[in-house]
Amino acid sequence: MNGNLYHNRTAQWIIYIVIFALLALVPFVFDNPFTLNQYARYIIFSLTAVSVSLVWGYGGILSLGQGIAFGMGAYGMGATMQMQFQDPESDPIPSFMLTNELETLPTVWEPFWSTPIGLTLALGIPTLFFLFFGYMMFQARVAGVFVAIMTLAMLAAWYSVVYDMQPFTAGFNGISPPLPFEIFETSVDPYSSLAYWICVAALIILTLSTKFILHTKFGLIVQAMRDDPERARFLGYNVAYYQTVLFTMSGFIAAIAGILWVMITQYVSPTSMEIMLSISMVIWAAVGGRTSLLGAIIGAFLINLGQSYAGDEFRATWLIILGVVFIAVVLFLPKGLTGLFEIIIGKLSGSNNGARQSG
Amino acid sequence: MSVHDFWTPFSLYPFLNSLFIGISLASIFFIAALGLTIIYGAMGVINMAHGEFIMLGAYTTYVFQQFLGFPFLLCLPVAFIMLAIFGLIVERGLIRTLYQRPLDTLLATWGLSLILIQTIRLIFGGEPKYVGVPGWLDFQIEANFIHLSGVRLFIIIFAVIIGAVTWFLMYKTTMGIRIRAVMQDKEMAASFGIDSNRIYSITFAYGAGLAGVAGALFGALKTLFPDMGAGYIVEAFLVVVVGGIGLVGSMFSAGILGELSSIFSYFTNDTFARFILFTLIVVFLRFRPQGLISEGATRR
Repeated sequence: MNGNLYHNRTAQWIIYIVIFALLALVPFVFDNPFTLNQYARYIIFSLTAVSVSLVWGYGGILSLGQGIAFGMGAYGMGATMQMQFQDPESDPIPSFMLTNELETLPTVWEPFWSTPIGLTLALGIPTLFFLFFGYMMFQARVAGVFVAIMTLAMLAAWYSVVYDMQPFTAGFNGISPPLPFEIFETSVDPYSSLAYWICVAALIILTLSTKFILHTKFGLIVQAMRDDPERARFLGYNVAYYQTVLFTMSGFIAAIAGILWVMITQYVSPTSMEIMLSISMVIWAAVGGRTSLLGAIIGAFLINLGQSYAGDEFRATWLIILGVVFIAVVLFLPKGLTGLFEIIIGKLSGSNNGARQSG
Repeated sequence: MSVHDFWTPFSLYPFLNSLFIGISLASIFFIAALGLTIIYGAMGVINMAHGEFIMLGAYTTYVFQQFLGFPFLLCLPVAFIMLAIFGLIVERGLIRTLYQRPLDTLLATWGLSLILIQTIRLIFGGEPKYVGVPGWLDFQIEANFIHLSGVRLFIIIFAVIIGAVTWFLMYKTTMGIRIRAVMQDKEMAASFGIDSNRIYSITFAYGAGLAGVAGALFGALKTLFPDMGAGYIVEAFLVVVVGGIGLVGSMFSAGILGELSSIFSYFTNDTFARFILFTLIVVFLRFRPQGLISEGATRR
């Protein structure tokens, strides 16, 4: 085995475990609740980048509509948390509905009285939507740029609805549930280590199970159809089926990210379905390395860290830098930072075989 | 909000007026999408920065009008030329290296749009800017059911002119024949001695120039913001993908989308109309990914 250490499965798992362990230890390093909350947000963004890496890096499907699942999950969670605050007897209607002259609770909001049902809907609806939407597209062999445009259009459509249905979604202002999320009779304070660990746990479980799935036969077929869908089809594989499953999986992950986002921010607004956010997810994955789940995570983390350090003052310059970096990555490093890493590791382990064992 | 408020019942005159608004919308869609169609049709390149080209056109007009005192009509060709030059630079510097990778072009041009928005924001600030409307356009048509401002009428007329000019260029000149030859089969065209790289440069510059003119016109209609391009880009894309490759397709799809959008808004409201329309388009594309009219070009 004289190959590139980068492709060594054991080494990969070790790196994953090391990075995840570092992330899990963050609450012991930063005692500041504000910083912890920020890091939880980066973790959630990393999760969205994982969903992009899965569908685009491995499946070759460029989805600009990850925000649909993210936003649906977020609104589902927002509704659940809002209804946890409401009282069925004395105060059954959220205040923003009253200001919008609703006298009764809309039927679509009724199920959110129950937290388990609310969570199921917050997760189930976006997943089913991606299943349906993906099936519709891939069955018709829509591919490449058209997928990008169709997902973008769908996202823009949902954005309009959420923005416009003010009595149901609080429109532009968004829903801000007054109390933290409560589950198993525990209140999850967004600034606590508990909330942070829930996010890290979600990231670890989802990333590792995704990586596991990608290592199975399913993962190989998916990558084959990314590289040449026509040939995969001629070999007898039902490409549409695999694409739909992959797309649904990515929607599922993005929906979980949306749910966690509201848990951490206690706020949901149409920005969760803005085009900018969904394209940012693609940028994170692209810069970090779309063909590596860990790369996507690191990309999301680094860019968001940079963004918060740039602050509001330098936001304009920061976005220019981001644009330049993004173009440079697309032009010269299609595999992102991990691609660079792969080359470097390859050089090192190629010239020195002993390095393989020590990694 | 009850169902009754949400659903506007039918009545003839307001409905006819909304059909007229539809024509106006269609002309805007058409002008916004024309440059994009040509670039996509000829090169298979999705230019995500097209909205920002429109924005640059609007700001060019603003600068020339405000600081150099150019009359509005003269600003249109100026915006065209400036953006065509800019388009040429972008094509040479960025797009050219990515012809083999359409998805990457989409992303790279999106990065470009980010840079353009922020640069303009740094130069001009985030406050709205205005393009002055010349006096002879400052009128309002008020016939029994038609309410139409002069600028909107001008845009409708201009859409027809610009469509006709583009049609002439594409179908009646040698250059147009070359462009269409490259569109249909690049290798075959090359074997007949057509320099496809040069054709691509010219096409991209022309498409960018059209975006510039579009910006000049939209500047007269609405206020200028650094991120105003985002307001046109999704609709422009949809016109292109629904229409398919080619001028006629874009004309039809802009017309249909404009009218449908206006009719849906009449019965419901603007944003909900957008939802219905976009959903319909997604469903339409599922059954006809090649768009309304495909000119027998290679499917991309």
